[in-house]
Amino acid sequence: MGKKQRPPRALPPVPSAIQGDIPLSRPKKKKPRTKNTLGSASSEGLVQAPVHKPSEGSEPPAKESTEQPKEAPVPRRQRKTRLPLELETSFAQKKASNASLLRNENGIHMEPTEEVVIQKPRRKTKKTQPAELQYANELGVEDEDIITDEQSSPEQQSRFTVPTGISQPVGKVFVEKSRRFQAADRSELIKTTENIEVSMDVKLSWTTRDVALSVHRAFRMIGLFSHGFLAGCAVWNIVFIYILAGDQLSNLSNLLQQYKTLAYPFQSLLYLLLALSTVSTFDRIDFAKTSVAIRNFLALDPTALASFLYFTALILSLSQQMTSDRIHLYTPSSVNGSLWAAGVEEQVLQPWIIVNLVVALLVGLSWLFLSYRPGMDLSEELMFSSDVEEYPEKDKGLKASS
Amino acid sequence: MLQTSNYSLVLSLQFLLLSYDLFVNSFSELLRMAPVVQLVLFIIQDIAILFNIIIIFLMFFNTFVFQAGLVNLLFHKFKGTIILTAVYFALSISFHVWVMNLRWKNSSRFVWTDGLQTLFVFQRLAAVLYCYFYKRTAVRLGDPRFYQDSLWLRREFTQVRRNGGVCLSSYISSQIRGVSSPNLASS
Repeated sequence: MGKKQRPPRALPPVPSAIQGDIPLSRPKKKKPRTKNTLGSASSEGLVQAPVHKPSEGSEPPAKESTEQPKEAPVPRRQRKTRLPLELETSFAQKKASNASLLRNENGIHMEPTEEVVIQKPRRKTKKTQPAELQYANELGVEDEDIITDEQSSPEQQSRFTVPTGISQPVGKVFVEKSRRFQAADRSELIKTTENIEVSMDVKLSWTTRDVALSVHRAFRMIGLFSHGFLAGCAVWNIVFIYILAGDQLSNLSNLLQQYKTLAYPFQSLLYLLLALSTVSTFDRIDFAKTSVAIRNFLALDPTALASFLYFTALILSLSQQMTSDRIHLYTPSSVNGSLWAAGVEEQVLQPWIIVNLVVALLVGLSWLFLSYRPGMDLSEELMFSSDVEEYPEKDKGLKASS
Repeated sequence: MLQTSNYSLVLSLQFLLLSYDLFVNSFSELLRMAPVVQLVLFIIQDIAILFNIIIIFLMFFNTFVFQAGLVNLLFHKFKGTIILTAVYFALSISFHVWVMNLRWKNSSRFVWTDGLQTLFVFQRLAAVLYCYFYKRTAVRLGDPRFYQDSLWLRREFTQVRRNGGVCLSSYISSQIRGVSSPNLASS
């Protein structure tokens, strides 16, 4: 019977049902522990009796009186179990007397007490609803919600004032799950919500902006490496060419024979490093913002000059692709189908050597310019600045320019 | 809101595709022992560029700015990237078609002409610029300001609405005038 009664009590559709809900909640959690069906029934009867009277009017009032002696030990047990959970217990001693006081009143004046008991649970349910929104602070017990005042006299109470009785903070929070209010431990709920907040904080500490920034810095590091490596490679290359070509470029056929295996790989490596270096210097001067880049270039900013030199070197290097392939496919002029006719060598190779020299010079100069201010990075300053103020300004400038 | 893990994943994918692009641009000339090898490399490169275009557009669609309806604002902001990527894609395909067409029979043949050389220079230059602009856009789209409501976005939005409102009111008034004038003429 008791089990069948529970579900409708847990639901608060009608005020009368709410009325039964909250006072019952305490015995409910008690039930499985005591396993005393009689005791639980009596404890239910303690507060519920007036509530169920309209519906279960057939029950004789004598039954109540017979149950009274049993009721006394039950609240004591409840108190014992509840004590560690509750925050305030000073008024707990008066509970038994007040409970009987309430019951008596209910017995005498039915309607006013019903209203009284209706109001209180409503307040409680309202308090527990925000708890579902997982606000840990809301789960705490507020002092003003607990009524500790003892009413002066039962007569006054019944006529003029609302006999509120004494309330206690309960360690349970009633959370609506699958259309039923189920008791959940308040402290556990608070813990879980706090845990969620802590994990959220940990996640928020590493934002997408940080990821972008770290990637940007990693690429800048790669760029820094490629600047130096490129300068070294280019210088080594031109020195190698001049050594192989001999004095006054007298031994060009030797150069071609020795260098033909190296020409294309070096061309490829040069493109890779030049591309990386150019992108890196563009990043440094924030090339996408053309106005800033041009202003920096006109002000002879070393980094802007370096990016220009890198871009020029890239164009020059790319323009030598055809010659590099020709060197790569070198066969002596005596061989049938050779690309290198006799006497063409100097004509083809001289501009190629000069362009290589110029590229080496440009790359070396760029490296020097960059090393003048190695920490400069306008992209990082402009893109990742957290000023919200200058952000719309930039946008508007862009829009106006269009 | 964009999740950090998702963004990291997308960013790493974009960088992977970019680095593959750079690798093929640098060393495809060396890997021409068989024409098929180069063909496969080129096809994958073009697909990678296409994938990058799709990814960047998906990232655009994910922003709050886009979802707020300010598509123009977003496209205006990154129009350099969009245009350059499209140009680079076109240049890449045309260069690949040309080179493969010339080298299909004999991959170690000297195929360079002035036209091919010019196209080669432009394609490689566009590749560098594409790499820079694309990288910048991808990194920039990690800015949380694109994914949340902010003051400047609201200002832009009101501006757009105001302009739209002015257009609408002028349209309505012109309609009313248009309707009322024949009546006046007939009366």
